[in-house]
Amino acid sequence: MTDKPRFKSARESGYLLCIDCEKLHPLSLEGELCDRCGARLHSRVPNSMNLSWASLIAAVILFLPANMLPIMTFKSFGQGEPSTILGGILHLLDQDMLLIGLVVLFASIVVPVLKIIAMTILLCTVQFRLQTNLRQKTLMFRIIEWIGRWSMLDIFVIGILVALVQLGNIAHIEGNDGATAFAVVVLLTMFSAIIFDTRLIWDNGVTDLPSDNSDEKDTP
Amino acid sequence: MHGTPEQLIACHECDLLMTRVANKPNEDVICPRCHARIFYTSINSIERLLALSVAGLILFIPANIFPILSLQVFGQSQSEIILQSALSLFDGGLVLVALLILLFAIVVPLFQQVILFYISFTLHYRREGRLLRQAMHAYQHLRGWGMLEIFMLGVLISIIKLKDIADLHIGLGLYSLAALIVVTTLSSVFFNPHQIWHQIDLRRQKRATDDR
Ligand SMILES: [Zn+2]
Ligand SMILES: [Zn+2]
Repeated sequence: MTDKPRFKSARESGYLLCIDCEKLHPLSLEGELCDRCGARLHSRVPNSMNLSWASLIAAVILFLPANMLPIMTFKSFGQGEPSTILGGILHLLDQDMLLIGLVVLFASIVVPVLKIIAMTILLCTVQFRLQTNLRQKTLMFRIIEWIGRWSMLDIFVIGILVALVQLGNIAHIEGNDGATAFAVVVLLTMFSAIIFDTRLIWDNGVTDLPSDNSDEKDTP
Repeated sequence: MHGTPEQLIACHECDLLMTRVANKPNEDVICPRCHARIFYTSINSIERLLALSVAGLILFIPANIFPILSLQVFGQSQSEIILQSALSLFDGGLVLVALLILLFAIVVPLFQQVILFYISFTLHYRREGRLLRQAMHAYQHLRGWGMLEIFMLGVLISIIKLKDIADLHIGLGLYSLAALIVVTTLSSVFFNPHQIWHQIDLRRQKRATDDR
């Protein structure tokens, strides 16, 4: 192996990695089926950018109704009114349930917002061929991908409370349409991350920055 | 960089092409460019997966038939199993939300355990396994969609929210759910797709030479 300190992708070298079973194939097999796992071979996920942008934008649009519409209504002896996600959190904080209020705040508002911001940064990186902090951006992607599913927390809480508190006039909880909007937002952000091909971040070209020298020693 | 595809590997996160290095057991290979974990070996993971999937399938039953919580107010009581958190929303007209809870808290986790059992049983006892590839694809694509641990946190939050209003009792279902979460977490740690695909490859090659 002639060693030059430049990172080269499989695609540049005429290879293609099956994303399902990670077997390496010649690039000429693009569009064919993987002989090991039977998946369709693509050097990069087809239409990744368009689908990722589309679902992200849809998530941003739905984020408003998800937070404005009530997600559930608690009624006891005819008293009580619908509450939104933020309303529920403020109620918890009001009642000195600080920790739990912060957990719900984090899962329902902080995580979706961070996820939307992070996906926007990643998509812009690929779209506008930005070449800075690629490693940090990849790390950011791994974190939001892992943490994003926790946004489903409030959805589960609604389901559990509605099922349990069905005591007729004494106490009664029902779900409202905000919950549907919020669930769709979570789904859309998850889909946006799943369909996003992280390899596109690194396709911009110059990734053999001199500052990366420390890693070159690893190459045999 | 030259060589046959067998001597080369590529990073699944950044597509960096590398020569394959023989990695020792329990030693990871990290991508030098994006730091993704490319390759790792674990000893005897098939046997562990088989044991875990059996445990998971067994635990799934009490987790779903016994109440997770029960509540008492003014002499009236109400208890719920996991399924009811989906059904009650269905009754209330929130069909999509109900469907998602049904999928993420029951169907996907169950399906994952069944698939895991099928894969580990087939490989361990060298059965035919016509659906092995499909099972692998399904398991890998379902990763992250089973949300038992998030559901569990939801139960804990519900307990705290209701504790001032009513008397709450934790049911056998919730303890079983906790055990099931431990099992599913362990099995996703021991699930090593490289090793399993490699085994599937070896079986196929062996079968091809047997046929000749
Ligand atoms: Zn494949
Ligand atoms: Zn990499």
